[in-house]
Amino acid sequence: MDMMISNLQQQRQINEQLRREAAIKRILVSQAVQDILKYIQEHENEDYLLKGFSSQKANPFREKGGCSIV
Amino acid sequence: MAVNENGNESIELLTKEADHLKQKLEEERQKLNDVTLATVAERLEHINFLSNIKTRRHLKGHQSKVLCCDWCTDKRRIVSSSQDGKLIVWDAFTNNKEFAVSTPSTWVMACAYAPSATHIACGGMDNKVTVYPLTHEDDSAKKKTVGTHTSFVSCCMFPNSDQQILTGSGDSTAALWDVETGQLLQSFHGHSSDVMAVDLAPSETGNTFVSGSADKTVLVWDMRTGQYVQSFEGHFSDVNSVRFHPSGDAIATGSDDATCRLFDLRADKEVAVYSKESIIFGANSIDLSVSGRLLFAGYNDYTINVWDTLKCVRVSLLFGHENRVSSVKMSPDGTAFVSGSWDTTLRVCIFHL
Repeated sequence: MDMMISNLQQQRQINEQLRREAAIKRILVSQAVQDILKYIQEHENEDYLLKGFSSQKANPFREKGGCSIV
Repeated sequence: MAVNENGNESIELLTKEADHLKQKLEEERQKLNDVTLATVAERLEHINFLSNIKTRRHLKGHQSKVLCCDWCTDKRRIVSSSQDGKLIVWDAFTNNKEFAVSTPSTWVMACAYAPSATHIACGGMDNKVTVYPLTHEDDSAKKKTVGTHTSFVSCCMFPNSDQQILTGSGDSTAALWDVETGQLLQSFHGHSSDVMAVDLAPSETGNTFVSGSADKTVLVWDMRTGQYVQSFEGHFSDVNSVRFHPSGDAIATGSDDATCRLFDLRADKEVAVYSKESIIFGANSIDLSVSGRLLFAGYNDYTINVWDTLKCVRVSLLFGHENRVSSVKMSPDGTAFVSGSWDTTLRVCIFHL
């Protein structure tokens, strides 16, 4: 009997979860994709791994060769 | 409501309702599936200069497999953890080791840098998540066990502040811990197998996180209620890695099924698969460039594949590691990424002309 009650409770939780998931608002894939595209295009110029560094100074990993003793 | 003629709920009716709900969910998702990402991206120019991504630092010092790594918020330091039981903090600008911490366990599968840069956290086969202060005094007594799972800790991160740690575990749960008191603030039940990875949504409120599991699913959680709000299926094997797209609207994943995927939160479905017939080994760890255009994925075949997330094609294949690539992480400002490998080393790569 206890087993049955716990099974019932488990199934109840599963259904509640499914009801919540079924009730969420969705948008068209075309709209979602457009928004991803827009975000990427707006940020591409800050993407160093995509566009490279604007100058060697902007590269924190550059070899600092020009050391001189004063 | 699933109620029978006696006014009682029965398993039978509930199961029937569950099947109906699942079917409805799938129908709703398909109804909105009007285009594919790759067709929308067709008009974009190809990315064709990625032979310029090169290793700039090769960090050597671990005695065994590197299992995890994480950047410091200073965009300069990196913490790594290894099967040798050690944590090492590196200065990626100079190649120097700044700290080495010996933990009592082996298989330190997870490590994270605290946002304040004063502490690091780690976890692994000891089932615990432990925080170590970064001081030069030899005082391992200052370490602090924050939380304990009933199985291994696969991943850990500081969500937003030093005060809390989020963990994923082989006990199928994720958990949020208070660092100061060691109190379990919230546990997250929903996966049916090992939780392999977690990532926090990039929004300032930071109340949403995502988890990937060996049960092949990806769940999106509300941190306050402890319940998951969305679930994504599609992978055919363990989901090893999950990362939020920098826009916050999508989630990228890497899996043992040799594919990476992109799931959109608002369309509530998978929108892209990144795979090639020649790629047959699992993807262990992934991360996205700051714009979200590039997906870096470390595989069991020792390579790192770079994907164009929009055109859904591979734009570069990086060699160098001599064993499995276990961890790939973008630096906070996107100038570089680090990869950790079972070959005991880490590599820091940048775009170099």
